[in-house]
Amino acid sequence: MSRIIVITSGKGGVGKTTVTANLGVTLARLGSQVVLVDADFGLRNLDLLLGLENRVVYTAVEVIAGECRLEQALVKDKRQPGLALLPAAQTRKAEAINPNQMKQLIMALAQMYDYVLIDCPAGIEMGFKNAIAAAEEALIVTTPEIAAVRDADRVIGLLEANNIKRVHLIVNRLRPNMVQANDMMSVEDVQEILAIPLIGVIPEDERIIVSTNRGEPLALADNLSLPGVAINHIARRLKGERLEFIDLDATNNNFFSRIRKLLWSKLGS
Amino acid sequence: MTSDSAPPTPVSSVSENLSEEKRELQVHLKNEDGTLLLILPTEAETASTTSWTDLWEQLKHRLNGGSRFWQPQASVHLMAQDRLLDGRQLKAIADALTETQLQLKRVYTNRRQTAVTAATAGYSVEQQTEVPSLSLEPSKPAAALAEPLYVETTVRSGVEIRHSGTAIVLGDVNPGGSVVAAGDILVWGRLRGIAHAGAFGNARCRIMALQMEPTQLRIADYVARAPEKTPANLYPEVAYVTPEGIRITKATDLSKTHLLSNS
Repeated sequence: MSRIIVITSGKGGVGKTTVTANLGVTLARLGSQVVLVDADFGLRNLDLLLGLENRVVYTAVEVIAGECRLEQALVKDKRQPGLALLPAAQTRKAEAINPNQMKQLIMALAQMYDYVLIDCPAGIEMGFKNAIAAAEEALIVTTPEIAAVRDADRVIGLLEANNIKRVHLIVNRLRPNMVQANDMMSVEDVQEILAIPLIGVIPEDERIIVSTNRGEPLALADNLSLPGVAINHIARRLKGERLEFIDLDATNNNFFSRIRKLLWSKLGS
Repeated sequence: MTSDSAPPTPVSSVSENLSEEKRELQVHLKNEDGTLLLILPTEAETASTTSWTDLWEQLKHRLNGGSRFWQPQASVHLMAQDRLLDGRQLKAIADALTETQLQLKRVYTNRRQTAVTAATAGYSVEQQTEVPSLSLEPSKPAAALAEPLYVETTVRSGVEIRHSGTAIVLGDVNPGGSVVAAGDILVWGRLRGIAHAGAFGNARCRIMALQMEPTQLRIADYVARAPEKTPANLYPEVAYVTPEGIRITKATDLSKTHLLSNS
């Protein structure tokens, strides 16, 4: 049984595409056959993040129009066996296809792969409807900001109305030190409003920007950085593993704060 | 929010005519002699912008939120009124009902086309003749409030629950969500969105919540917003209208401060 998962958020810029790319790479590394579907017609990015832009020949729209076979449009990632991308058309808009056509396309992909990850566009219009048409589960990506959380809440309501009941939450771009200083919503604050199960927390990290610009997802690295580990855990939880959440506070400690803590504990005793 | 005895809560004065603005109805379910009536609002009762997708979303939210309140396999009569339904839409309704273990049995309509569609799909059909609008349901003489609506759901951002009676929500009302009721509103959870009680103009209605942190409270024509800072301790509270505007009191103090002074 393959799993069809849509990655969505409502608000733009919270990291849907980055999460999709890295999650795809990680699932493939863990031995699954994964296809990433860029459902953001007209504003495609996923190929950029994966560094596959120059290998895109056909797109989903041509497949739907019958101008090429599905296999021809799929871009296989040479760095990571088991990972493929179905790019979106850059020239046309979401109105070019309808939810039924999208559904057929995804169903055909589901025959060939273990995981179909759909990168949903921002917003709740036609593009969103296309992206969720065939999905059976959803990952909600949000950042700890009220606007992002509000939009995520709206999207969860829409998913519920469309019979997507298996919905998990990813809190992205968390800054533990800001949370500690009470300057940022905590994961608990977000969860209190959204009331859906949490599957992972990804800390803010500059390396993500670097990897995005290079077209090399962080998750491809041999030595996983902290966000890479967080993604790795999300992938394993998706596969059914039970893992403890990483303690982001502890990793944020630098040398000096550790010494300070040590001194304090000495003084206290 | 502060309680009644404390310095006055920030309350903006009456300005807009809230009760007049919209009386649109939503899809609702009603129990009658063992069968469930699924009532679609008539074209006149909804805003012209209400699309089929809106109706369908309302239906799904109602079904998801109320599944505990009917027996499995109960039969449903669809009161389509003057709504035009095509085969696909009728099937979507039937499918949504099947998912919550309900069965669509009969369709009541006063549109010929809908009747034909329903008959083709194999439902028994009762075609009501077009009655002059005076005797139609919405204009019953000073209609009594509808029976209370009880939903078990999180009212999420963008969702609006409207009911022409008292509404009880078992769950949170999130920021961006709203509950509008002609009667009282009772939120067994956190109220963080907008609640409008007595929406048809009854200022004696109340809003009750386990945790009052609303974006806005409205009772009949009165509006109040929450103070800038949320108090540290939140306990069940009740909002009601006084000559000075909307006031809030601890639920446990209601009988002391409100019932006595008002009697």
